[in-house]
Amino acid sequence: MIILWIVLAVIGVPLLLIGLYFAKAIVQGAAEGWREGSEESTEYELPAEAAALGLLPPERQNTDTAAPVPADLAAAVAAAKAGDWQPAAALFDETASVRDWERRTSHCEALADVAAEDDTWLLAWEAARVDDPGAALVRARSTVFLAWNIRGGKRAQYTTGEQFEGFHRVLAQSREEHARAAALAVEGDPSPYVGEIWTALGLGYPNSEMDRLWKELTDRAPHHYEAHFSALQYWCKKWRGSERLARDFAARAAEQAPLGSLMTAFPLIAHFEHDESDSAEADRTPEMRSLVDAALTDVAAADPAHPRLAEVRHLLAFYLCLQDRDEAAVEQFRLVDGYVNALPWRYRGDKAAEFCRMRDLSLANAAAAN
Amino acid sequence: MGATLRALRALLLLAGFYLLGILLLAALAGVDYLLYLHAPTSLALKLFLVSGLLAIPLVRGLLMLRTPPEEELTGLTVTQADEPELWRTVRELADEVGTRAPSRVVLTADVNAAVAEDARLLGLLPGTRRLYLGVPLMQGLTESQLRAVLAHELGHYSNADTRLAAITVRGRAQVLRTIEQFEERARRTAAREEARQEKKNAKATAKGKEAREVDAGHSGITYRAMARIYTAYARFYFRATLAGSRRQEYAADAAAARIAGRDATASALREIPVLDAAFGFYTQSYATLGSNAELLPPRGEVLGGFGRMLSARQLELAGLRTGLPTEPSSRYDSHPPIADRVRRVESLAPDGRAEEGRGAALSLLTDPERTLTALEDTVLTDAVRGFRRARDWQELLDGSMAEGLASSSTPLHLALGQYTKSAPTLPALIQLIDDGQLWQLARRLPLSEQAAASKGRAFREFVRPTLHESLATMALAELNARSLVRWEFSWERSAVPHLAPAPDGTTPDLDAVIAPALADHPDTGPLRALLTPSA
Repeated sequence: MIILWIVLAVIGVPLLLIGLYFAKAIVQGAAEGWREGSEESTEYELPAEAAALGLLPPERQNTDTAAPVPADLAAAVAAAKAGDWQPAAALFDETASVRDWERRTSHCEALADVAAEDDTWLLAWEAARVDDPGAALVRARSTVFLAWNIRGGKRAQYTTGEQFEGFHRVLAQSREEHARAAALAVEGDPSPYVGEIWTALGLGYPNSEMDRLWKELTDRAPHHYEAHFSALQYWCKKWRGSERLARDFAARAAEQAPLGSLMTAFPLIAHFEHDESDSAEADRTPEMRSLVDAALTDVAAADPAHPRLAEVRHLLAFYLCLQDRDEAAVEQFRLVDGYVNALPWRYRGDKAAEFCRMRDLSLANAAAAN
Repeated sequence: MGATLRALRALLLLAGFYLLGILLLAALAGVDYLLYLHAPTSLALKLFLVSGLLAIPLVRGLLMLRTPPEEELTGLTVTQADEPELWRTVRELADEVGTRAPSRVVLTADVNAAVAEDARLLGLLPGTRRLYLGVPLMQGLTESQLRAVLAHELGHYSNADTRLAAITVRGRAQVLRTIEQFEERARRTAAREEARQEKKNAKATAKGKEAREVDAGHSGITYRAMARIYTAYARFYFRATLAGSRRQEYAADAAAARIAGRDATASALREIPVLDAAFGFYTQSYATLGSNAELLPPRGEVLGGFGRMLSARQLELAGLRTGLPTEPSSRYDSHPPIADRVRRVESLAPDGRAEEGRGAALSLLTDPERTLTALEDTVLTDAVRGFRRARDWQELLDGSMAEGLASSSTPLHLALGQYTKSAPTLPALIQLIDDGQLWQLARRLPLSEQAAASKGRAFREFVRPTLHESLATMALAELNARSLVRWEFSWERSAVPHLAPAPDGTTPDLDAVIAPALADHPDTGPLRALLTPSA
């Protein structure tokens, strides 16, 4: 009888211990899950400081643009979607006659985006006004967007051969269309070359070819914001350049530019694109502070109607916050609040949440300092 | 471990392959004997029954080991009187290698050279030796390269390494054939079972019952289990003797280099994979081009064209020669990767024999053309021999293009048939494009997941390549039917269609005519004009 008990004990006790251990693990896991779940459900609460300034919570931030869309462009986009090309054509006629290339490329980007999805209105425009420079410009740029739509936004390994083949074929077509747009463009218009930079980036033009393109462009418009923004992307390490090439390009652009041209944004963007450190130390160096100072002066001198002004303010707000210059940061945040599709938020998973998080940080710090 | 010891070990392992079944049977008998001695009679009787059942597959396995004598490859046996020069070369090489010359030489129609032997007593005793020599190999190699290949093959039977080496080579071949036999038989059993079930299903469906899934899963399970045991052992045997057999390959290469020259041996090794690929391409793109139209190349040209293609495509082949396969061709293959072998041979000291025997190996034959024709007559099956002979390659091309285009069925044909529920013709398609229905039709094409999910412009770009290709085929078929295309035959590149010149004397470009028809603003004018040149 005793032996039986010993045997039972030898088998039973370890089993019991194992059972207890599992039970504990299960209870712990459940408790953790419950706690986490409750944390997630806490909603964003707009701080009093933000509310006082009339700033918005993340869900009310517009995540499609960096600033309010001008009324004339919004109207043209709506008309294009409805199949009417006339308002768009009128916009392009206007920018050509007043030679406002910043607005022209900005309009082109917005309308090409529409045409990449559905180009019925553009086809009608092309049929009604053969060899229209504006239509040619939108056609070329929309083909670039179309190529990216075909490729899809996934990494190479999740992208099919058919998608890559279509991407390259359509991009190659955009190259010809940009050449046509350049041939039809009014004297001095750099817009077709600005669009072609994206073709160059996608197809991987050799650097020499890019320099040739850049010369054509800067001969027509030496300080065009979108041109520089696009070219800087080309020169980035992740595309067709390197960190050194990108930083040099940005520094040169900022150096030579007149005040108010917003070219001082590019050294900051070059830094942002290549900064891989986890801490904010690299963003607080004296060099970075002086770059931010230069950009602040530039922004103050810029035309308030510059279509890219808000984008630079977003970038400034970000770096001012990182440099603990919270009052100045709040000033920039306040000016752009409500529209968050700009660097650096654009690279984050939840643009609006990221924007609000940093804005609120600066707000709290500024309030504490006072 | 010395060469002799290694060979002995290989021999023991080989013996194991044949003794496997007997050992298992003996073990079973031993267990039975122990039962008889120690277990109570009632239990022992039951277990005897079980062991008897177990013995059945073992005995069957033993019987499986009797392989029928190797079937001869189809080919043209040539006597010494037929081909004195070839025979003299083979004899001379066998002499230099130090082995018996083959007693038969069989020319075959593939890129291959092999010395085979009807070994007796499970590969232990020598038998009749045959040389299989692929004529395409002779078309592609120089005389000294061919000598290197033959020296290598004969080298396997030389006793330079050890007397036992030749035995292990024969043993290996025998084991390999045995397991191939297993696999073949297993396939046949499964196929029989499937056919039986299909028939049963057909009957069931005829009676209005639901058909059952065809599955050969459980047929011949004891048989397959035995085959698996032997295959596993064979694999073990091959792996255990791999180092040895690789050494033998290297030794045969070294013998070849000694006899035929270092450079000829290395270049022959480089050449063989290239010739193999080239012959595969030739067979598909030239020799059997007319098979759908039931057309054969002119007599003697089925194999003869290969030589012509080789010389026309020299540049292309040169590119292929630089990349060498670095993987062995199969897991049973005793040959080390070609890249390794070439490296070894090329690292030998130069022997100054680079300029030897640079003439074509084919000239070892007394009358190459006659031999090619005779071989062709031997290897073609009766069904194929019934095809009509084309006058020349051009006629073969024209005939097969006409046949191919007339019976072509592109994705667009299918989609059009589905969309219109009538015969998919080119005029119907052109009408449909003019009516602006092309993109609705395109939705019926086979689409990838991404293409199916896309809309508008992106969708049109996804389907445009398929549409273009299909429409080009449809247009060519139409033009060919109206004799408006001339096909240019070439040994260097694929056949090129030449369209009949337009009334104004210019040559139309098919792609340039098709692109506008599929553009966003479709214009079928040029395509219509092309189809009716008189108008």
